[in-house]
Amino acid sequence: MDPLAELKQTFFQECEELLGALELKLQALDEGSTDSEDVNAAFRAIHSIKGGAGAFGCTELVSFAHVFEASLDHLRSGRVALEDAPFALFLRCSDAVADLVSAARNDEPARPRPDLLAALEQVGQAPKPAAAPVPAAAPAPPAAPAPAAAASDAPPGIAALGNLLAMVEAKTAAPAEKADAGWDDEPAAPKAAPVAAAPAKAGHDICLKIRPESDLFRRVIEPRVVLGSLPVDDIVSVTCDLSQVPSLETLDVSDCYMRFTVMLRTELSVEEIYSRFDFTLAAEEFEIETVAANAANDDAPAPAVAPPAATAASPEVSANVAADLSAIPARLGPATDAAPQPDIAPKPVAVAPAPVPVAAAPVEAAPAARMPARAPANDAAAARQRQAVSVRVDLDRIDKLMNLVGEIVITQSMLVECVRSLPYDIYAKTAEGILTLSRQTRELQDHVMAVRAQPVKAVFQRMPRLVRELAQTLGKEVRLVLEGENTEVDKTIIEELADPLTHMIRNSMDHGLETPDERIAAGKPPEGVIKLVAEHRAGRIVISVTDDGRGIGRDRLLAKARSRGLVGQDEKLAPEEIDQLIFAAGLSTAEVISDVSGRGVGMDVVRRNVESLGGRISVDSEPGRGCKFTLALPLTLAVLEGMVIRCGDDRYVIPIASVIETQHLASTPIEHLTFGQEVLRWRGEVTPLHRLGAVMGSTGTRNENIIIIAETERGDNVGIAVDEIVGQQQVVVKSLEGNYGTVNGASAATILGDGLVALILDVDSMLRLAASSGRSPVPALKMAG
Amino acid sequence: MTLQLGEKHFSSAQPESTVRRIVTFKVGDRTFGIDVGMVREIKGWQTTTPLPHAAPHVRGVLNLRGVILAVYDLRTSIGLGQTEATATHVIVVVDIEDKVAGLLVDSVSDIVDVPVSAVRPAPDLERDEHGLIEGLVLLDTDIVALLDLGAVIRDGGVDPATMAKTARAN
Repeated sequence: MDPLAELKQTFFQECEELLGALELKLQALDEGSTDSEDVNAAFRAIHSIKGGAGAFGCTELVSFAHVFEASLDHLRSGRVALEDAPFALFLRCSDAVADLVSAARNDEPARPRPDLLAALEQVGQAPKPAAAPVPAAAPAPPAAPAPAAAASDAPPGIAALGNLLAMVEAKTAAPAEKADAGWDDEPAAPKAAPVAAAPAKAGHDICLKIRPESDLFRRVIEPRVVLGSLPVDDIVSVTCDLSQVPSLETLDVSDCYMRFTVMLRTELSVEEIYSRFDFTLAAEEFEIETVAANAANDDAPAPAVAPPAATAASPEVSANVAADLSAIPARLGPATDAAPQPDIAPKPVAVAPAPVPVAAAPVEAAPAARMPARAPANDAAAARQRQAVSVRVDLDRIDKLMNLVGEIVITQSMLVECVRSLPYDIYAKTAEGILTLSRQTRELQDHVMAVRAQPVKAVFQRMPRLVRELAQTLGKEVRLVLEGENTEVDKTIIEELADPLTHMIRNSMDHGLETPDERIAAGKPPEGVIKLVAEHRAGRIVISVTDDGRGIGRDRLLAKARSRGLVGQDEKLAPEEIDQLIFAAGLSTAEVISDVSGRGVGMDVVRRNVESLGGRISVDSEPGRGCKFTLALPLTLAVLEGMVIRCGDDRYVIPIASVIETQHLASTPIEHLTFGQEVLRWRGEVTPLHRLGAVMGSTGTRNENIIIIAETERGDNVGIAVDEIVGQQQVVVKSLEGNYGTVNGASAATILGDGLVALILDVDSMLRLAASSGRSPVPALKMAG
Repeated sequence: MTLQLGEKHFSSAQPESTVRRIVTFKVGDRTFGIDVGMVREIKGWQTTTPLPHAAPHVRGVLNLRGVILAVYDLRTSIGLGQTEATATHVIVVVDIEDKVAGLLVDSVSDIVDVPVSAVRPAPDLERDEHGLIEGLVLLDTDIVALLDLGAVIRDGGVDPATMAKTARAN
């Protein structure tokens, strides 16, 4: 892969994470969170997506993200109160961004979303329509021509972009305006007018200060590119400030220490210049001043100059944030002492007084108060700090590490075996060392597993969107509650979780939950609730999907099963047994086959997927009250706790998770049914017995006087007769498919302490094997149960 | 005892198009050969773990430095029954398609360079119904049968009836 494509790939991966974060934060806000950190995190996510998209030339994505970002900025700045914010719209927009990202990823044409863009543009304009009908244009006269020009020859998205750029420009370009213009919809302070008017004149002088972050080069941007985006003919002079370059000992060549000052004589407006840098530089990295305006601003350069200090402290804080910070205390008046950044805050305050009385409209005070000034800066700094302590590692490397740990586990069990044959005095000493080693090995293994572990959030994050879209399609009102998103599980499992969960949620939405009318009729609130909960339990991860819908329609399910011949016409089933039929293949009780579900493949596929991962799924249903699907999966697929058993000359490993009990054959009465099928009485039930040696074709003589009672995935019990239980140990799961193929009766293999391979038994597959080799497939069980 | 083979030890002086470098090994008194490039390593016999209800020529699986691979008994494949494996028997570890497999043989004889022109197509042998033999090479004393490894591994072994027939023929 060429480096650029690789970078692009990384960008898309990051996009997924960012989109997830965006959605989560928006969700939280939608549910009434008043935490300004959520707003900031959402804003940062979309800002990062926009930045990356710009670098890779995904124009549609950039223009949409830009508008989206701008409307989120309204929240951040408090211009739009959180309780008034249209989070449903924002969530739909985040879905749209996800679509754009995947379109860009697959090089497909993106679907334009003029409707959403238009709606986004309304955000921040609606609250005070009477006071300022055209708020964006109001503060600075030159802002008006820009959107107009853009609108004439560009799609709505670009027009909106122009419009927003004008606003942004009004905020950041002319320092004097920072504290007043662009904040709110109030008319601009008088002195802003001449400043802002300047860009409209042809051939004006502009002073451009570029102060790149030190990570400029690492963002694959170089000054040549930045400066190259300016028209060469317009450049009057370029000066480079090298004063920041450290002494040779501390110089990091991958850091950028250069600062540029560019004098331009140009016909380009400030916002045009702004837009040329928008994709290469963050807002706080450059500053555009019209030279004519400088004189007017000389007494108030503070906000513009402040950013270096701000960036040093918290590099991700944009100039906007700095301005926000400054404005908030100004609006709150002297009563607040929330501003923790005295180097930023006081300076703007000095500028601010003039607009404050105007700006501090009562409407604004509330959101400003809700947003502690501390948040943006600290949050950004914290985010940067988190980034610094985490590294992106290729999964391959971790897999190799995991394999190696597996080898050590094997070597260690090999050592244990060698030591047994040593004379006692040497043994005692060695055993101690081996004990320590085995503890350390296990610890090492846990840590490597922890590296591979990921919070289930990665999968859970996709669900709110699914629910939203389904709710719309099905005309149902649904609230999705997520719990335990931070429960960690092995990466391999995470990847396999998405499909089953999607199916389960679809199922609950389509079959479980009723329409609002039906719910009201049943005396329930119109809004249905689906709970998605993850937790660790007994070395497994347990995920449940609970809905408060109508529950499983047992009569219909049973009738369906009878008509399909899955259940005999006069066979009686317990209610719980009927519920389990939902996992049978080819059963669907939906009257109408919809796009959503109803083809009867869903839960059947889920069960098979889950079982292939060594997990199990069950359902509890209460008619009229709802339904709960529970999914239990191993935490990892790489290592399992197994019981080593011997049969004839061969050894096998049976996963401890499948073993219920072991006992001596002598203590258990065996009865013979037809066709050589043996059964035993166990806990008052008739349990089929299989002789492992016969089923697996073990070599050597066998006595088979130990019985292992194992549990099948369906929850039935089965007895397995073996010769000996050798021990219990952790075994490393090795695929047989890789170099051979599927082996009936075994799910995989492992390497025991003596270096020999042992098959890991799969109870269900073993029973199928037993059935196919001429034995009757447990006919008596159901009658007995 | 492990003998590692690798291209670096035998970097061909002659262009590959004219010469095939072949590893020859014996099963009973018969000589077989495969291209040296397919051979990953040659190791002494090691106990394998049998697989349930596998084809007769599948001896089982073994652990090669943490990788599990299946061992195929060439003797069974050519209809001579099972090898009574001892420490002197040899497992030729080969790369075949995208898998690693072991081939149980009696001994490894030699590495020879054979001009491509000297490889004759396998005669349309009645008994080689599985297409195990890809071509024949005449050396001084031996006839070397070049194996189609894919066929050896895919082949379900020789069924008992054919085996009996072959035994009689011998």
